[in-house]
Amino acid sequence: MTEDAGQATFFDGKSNRRRTVTLRLGPELEICENGAPIASWPWDWVRRVDSPKSQLRLRCANAHDLARLDIQDEALAQRIVVRCTRLDVEDSRGKSGTGRIIAWSLAATVSIVLIGLYGVPLLADRVAPLLPQSIEARLGDMVDNQVKTIFGRRTCDAVDGQKAFSKMVAKLESAGGMHMPLQAAVLDSGVKNAIALPGGKVYLFRGLLNEAKNADEIAGVLGHELGHVHHRDSMRRLLQTGGTSFLLGLLFGDVTGAGAVIVATRTLLEASYSREAEVKADGFAIDTMHKLGRPAAPMAELLVRMTGPQRGKGIDILASHPFSEDRLARMKKIEIQKPGEPILDAEEWAALKAICNQPAEPSPATKDSHEKPATEKTP
Amino acid sequence: MDEANFSPPAQPWGQPPVAPPSLRPIDFVSEGRKFLKLLVRGAALQLVTFGFYRFWLATDIRRHLWSHSMIDGENAEYTRTGRELLIGFLFALAILVPIYLVYFLIGIEAERVQAFASVPLGLFMVLFASFAAYRARRYRLTRTVWRGVRFWMQGSGWKFAFIAFGWMILVVLSLGGAWPWRAAALERYKMRNTFYGDMPADFDARPIEFFKKGLGMWLFAIISLIFLAAGGILSTAAFKAPGSGVVLMVLGTIGLIAVPFMYPFFRALEWRWWASGVNFGGTRLECNLRGGALLGLFFKYLVIAWLVASVVAMLIIAIGAAVVEAAGIQIKSLNPQKLNELMSGETWILVAGAAFGYLTIMLAAGVVQRFFLQHEYWRVITSTITIVRPEAMENVAAKGDIANALGEGLADGFDIAGF
Repeated sequence: MTEDAGQATFFDGKSNRRRTVTLRLGPELEICENGAPIASWPWDWVRRVDSPKSQLRLRCANAHDLARLDIQDEALAQRIVVRCTRLDVEDSRGKSGTGRIIAWSLAATVSIVLIGLYGVPLLADRVAPLLPQSIEARLGDMVDNQVKTIFGRRTCDAVDGQKAFSKMVAKLESAGGMHMPLQAAVLDSGVKNAIALPGGKVYLFRGLLNEAKNADEIAGVLGHELGHVHHRDSMRRLLQTGGTSFLLGLLFGDVTGAGAVIVATRTLLEASYSREAEVKADGFAIDTMHKLGRPAAPMAELLVRMTGPQRGKGIDILASHPFSEDRLARMKKIEIQKPGEPILDAEEWAALKAICNQPAEPSPATKDSHEKPATEKTP
Repeated sequence: MDEANFSPPAQPWGQPPVAPPSLRPIDFVSEGRKFLKLLVRGAALQLVTFGFYRFWLATDIRRHLWSHSMIDGENAEYTRTGRELLIGFLFALAILVPIYLVYFLIGIEAERVQAFASVPLGLFMVLFASFAAYRARRYRLTRTVWRGVRFWMQGSGWKFAFIAFGWMILVVLSLGGAWPWRAAALERYKMRNTFYGDMPADFDARPIEFFKKGLGMWLFAIISLIFLAAGGILSTAAFKAPGSGVVLMVLGTIGLIAVPFMYPFFRALEWRWWASGVNFGGTRLECNLRGGALLGLFFKYLVIAWLVASVVAMLIIAIGAAVVEAAGIQIKSLNPQKLNELMSGETWILVAGAAFGYLTIMLAAGVVQRFFLQHEYWRVITSTITIVRPEAMENVAAKGDIANALGEGLADGFDIAGF
């Protein structure tokens, strides 16, 4: 054996027959079987293929895709490696390959985050008002069904109370200039909340009504929910949730959006969207109440009474609503131009407070559920 | 525990006795340190690339495992790139997004009729996941090369999904008893559509053999369940036998606690049975995997995963405390109110720190998991497999083409991608 030759095993890629060959290390890598050359690989085209450290395996970038050369002789392998200038250029594990992956990943992440922060809310703002009312009504029916499954199906409808409630809603509706018909009702549930569903459904829960001390407090809350309806926040939220889920799926690979990281990131993003929507709904409530010549602050007083001061209690950026005390400060700041008549007189207010008091069959037990209905909630 | 091997198929009648078949073990060249390095590097890169490196890491892992497995003296190869997986994933998104939209709309319509009526729609997703698993196998197989010739696969992913789904119903109805028949049906479909070059593969292990050897374990689990249920019923007021009820419930609970320890033995049994059925031309496999080996592996994995996760968690807490200290805040002097101020003032730092810590722990746990449940599992399995008559796989002509990475992308979309 001369200095520039040695034994190896060759597979031609056309069959798996093992061929014992002689390698000649000339201007090119020459592969000979029984003394006759069967292939010649230019050194620049030779690439390394994965194999354990006990051998060197090569392919050629301009020969048969699967043709392979196995070299067990370590000294020979060394002499070949020295001659191959571009042995590992196509390996993604090399330095330049990894750098490219990192750079492109960062670029993709930045673009996804920017779209999530600015693009999705913008898109939702533009698209939500364009969606036909009928779609929203359909969604409303669906969410209504879920809400009633969770909170119980009984609505309160004592005759006098219902009359007072309708009067209050009608006043707010005309003052707010609503673009769609409202369906408001008091739901017989102890939960201290009020919600607006897609399609103009607004529910006030008995629990919140019991907490209220005067009609302005409840009117303010309803005004806030009307604001959600007026701004079509449910639709916007639906579009935002869909958009962010999709984006985060792109980023983390789990399109179903079940992973812990995805849930966490989505919570952050949605909390920021939602705080903005709440501030706008508060603005709507303030305007509407002031048009009626009534103060908006009582609503915030009701909230502060229920939640206490909130600053410093939780993690700011996870909160879905502005702090109650901030809302109160905002509502107190704005003066009423001309004070007006009370929305309800004392008798009507008493009737509204008693709207759930009529003897009726007991409401179905409140069910617990992990599903969070797509609703806007107050407080 | 019955650990008898599955006997090779009997010699057909009327044929002269032949010389005993040649045997060749699969040789796994273990370079654990190198693999670990690959994993740690991959985890770090996943952190910097916000997870995008997962496609390349999956490829790196396969390349390592394939290339260190010597079959009859030649190592296998995994020939494709991470970029291909990324493209497959993007294609999969193009398919998955409309499917999710339709799913969503149907869901809305169903919910209008009855709250939470859309839950059964999840069944469609189960079917789809099987489809994706089949296509992912096809992708991996067509990237597998041995001695310069490619493995490949045909068959329909949807047909496979329906077979898998139908048998799953039977498995549930039979409380697991139909499992061997399901496994056989699926393996038959997969292997009879599998080729090495122009050589077709086959699967001929009989499910009844699997069933007979697994019967003891199955009955044990079922009887434990029955004890638990019967004990529960007896303890109710109607039967007024709380004493015997409690005894039965305790027995049942002990039995159910033992079931996870039986799982490695079940898996080992399944591996031995599977290997006895695989068949490429005249080349067969034999496996003598013991359940104890798998049990030891799982145990080692759990202990080390727990250790690593807690060490990393402690390190992060220590670093966090040092950072806070360096910022001039004495933790001891913090009263609750001051803590509150800190919380509301610098929350984004806290949230980012918590997210970083969480991700680091997850990635560290991922390294341990991949090392034990992929590298070590692979090593244990391959070291127990013997190839019978490898010479029957000589002179196979190349045939078959590569499949795209769509299935793998779909599987990734469902978060079920294997290695």
